[in-house]
Amino acid sequence: MTRARLLRGVVGAAGFLAVGELVIRFGLSSGVVFPPPSAILYQAVLLAADGDFLLGVLTTLTNWALGLLLAVVVAVPAGVLLGALTPMERAVRPLLEFLRPIPSVAIIPLAILLIPADELMKVSVIVYASVWPILINTLYGMHDVDPLAKESLRSFGFGGLAVLGRVSLPSAAPFVATGIRIAAGVALIIAVSAELLAGGTTGLGVFVIQAGSGGRTDLIMAATFWAGGCGLLANVALQAAERRLFRWHRVRTGAV
Amino acid sequence: MTRTLRCRALILGAAVALTLTACSGNSDAAGSSANGKGLEKTVLKVGVLPVPDVVSLYIAKEKGFFKEEGLTVEPVVIAGGAVALPQIKSGALDISATNYVSTFMAIGRGEKIKLVADMYQAGPNTFNIMVPNDSRIKTVADLKGKTVLVNTLKNISTLAVATQLKVAGLTEKDINFAEKPLPDMGNALKSGQGDAGLLTEPFITATQSTLGFHKLADTMTGETEDMPISGWMASDGWTQKNPKTLAAFQRALAKAQSLVSSNRKEVEAMLPKYTKIDAKTASVITLGTYPSELSATRLQKVADIMLDYKYLTSPFDVKSVIAAPSKG
Repeated sequence: MTRARLLRGVVGAAGFLAVGELVIRFGLSSGVVFPPPSAILYQAVLLAADGDFLLGVLTTLTNWALGLLLAVVVAVPAGVLLGALTPMERAVRPLLEFLRPIPSVAIIPLAILLIPADELMKVSVIVYASVWPILINTLYGMHDVDPLAKESLRSFGFGGLAVLGRVSLPSAAPFVATGIRIAAGVALIIAVSAELLAGGTTGLGVFVIQAGSGGRTDLIMAATFWAGGCGLLANVALQAAERRLFRWHRVRTGAV
Repeated sequence: MTRTLRCRALILGAAVALTLTACSGNSDAAGSSANGKGLEKTVLKVGVLPVPDVVSLYIAKEKGFFKEEGLTVEPVVIAGGAVALPQIKSGALDISATNYVSTFMAIGRGEKIKLVADMYQAGPNTFNIMVPNDSRIKTVADLKGKTVLVNTLKNISTLAVATQLKVAGLTEKDINFAEKPLPDMGNALKSGQGDAGLLTEPFITATQSTLGFHKLADTMTGETEDMPISGWMASDGWTQKNPKTLAAFQRALAKAQSLVSSNRKEVEAMLPKYTKIDAKTASVITLGTYPSELSATRLQKVADIMLDYKYLTSPFDVKSVIAAPSKG
């Protein structure tokens, strides 16, 4: 089952690359020049052994992980608190709904002006961007708790905190995990965008600036390939962790 | 189960707290410590663009010129002069590369910036208006009503084009400018998004060899001949607070500039180390010159041309924005 699925995925990717190769080699109009997938993949392989590039990837991923971790530390307790205290949620909700749709990339120039420490600036915008999916999913998770389960516990004489710890939190946990997985993708986008906009000593985005100034579109695309690869790996890892931790949740909701 | 979870959460929390304190602790110590030469600051973050203009900074770093002065210079790649300005103001950067046209416009707006060293001066064929091989545009006058692609609007690029338009009896109003990043310009022109483009190296060489473009005009001729292009800037406050550090930086950089100006091989060897320009391309691209002295007379020419073309609204004395090297 999984092997067949993997095979189909590989066939799909290979087909996409083949079509891309043909279109770029024969289909581009009037002598426009763009590196075909084969050239991009070749550069991507070379980059995997390029110390400067790897250091850049490591820097970007460190910012990403730190930002995501801090976002979890901020957003999960905030979501639980707001989810448990309805009046407070009503008071804060309009502000949240106003802040949430602001594209996080748009606050990067402001962050550059306000935060002189480069790493701190980058981690801050990553935290800002990743807080929203985690916070909103935690809130929804808290709303989705089975009221019957809560009532049962209460009728057995359990206090509010015990209900929170024994029913609400375990019940909301799978939603939190989904929020973190969505945030991981957003965080990577912002980690690279911040470097593209602000520069820096090293990083994936910094590498792309350098490749652009040197007119190396093939290197830009190869770096982009690895950025996509990092995102894919993070998603797969988090999804696997979710499956392991919340097997019971999948069984209950019947999700695949 | 819950106990191990709680345990993990504690460890996690402690780790985050430790990381945060580590982040906030180290920024000051290195910069302000006293040393033999009485420098106010020894570690400098310097904004650079990955282009040939800034080569001297890397030469000075590699050859130990900064070290001799007691300085440790950390090059920070910037995304462009527009971003470097807030980074200079916020203190994220001590010194940064900048181009003179943007800098003078920023100073005209009231920004408190000082120029601290010269960097790069245009040479023949370093700022060319390029057209595709099959273009029907044969002279600058043919650009009337056409679209010219530039890297940044209202900058050295548009000013450079304007000076050539004037020679052909046109003004900026007779053509359209459109913004396009340099790496994309070749394809954009090929696919008809513009009729001509102002290109710099390595893109002049690249579009010539891979797309068969040719030169319509060299914009650095006539009144723009040998035009100063870029230099190093710092905030007013920074230059006042760090006079000795600035002098040390200027000495080391001047040494590298004079080495580079008389020895192209040094540039060619260094380019592949900090840009994505390979050794082969480095050996064929056209380079400007690297003046070792920040001359008010030469820079005044830039300000005067800007005033002529209304890039500045009032006359501007360049001497007032130069932080001259202190003697000795």
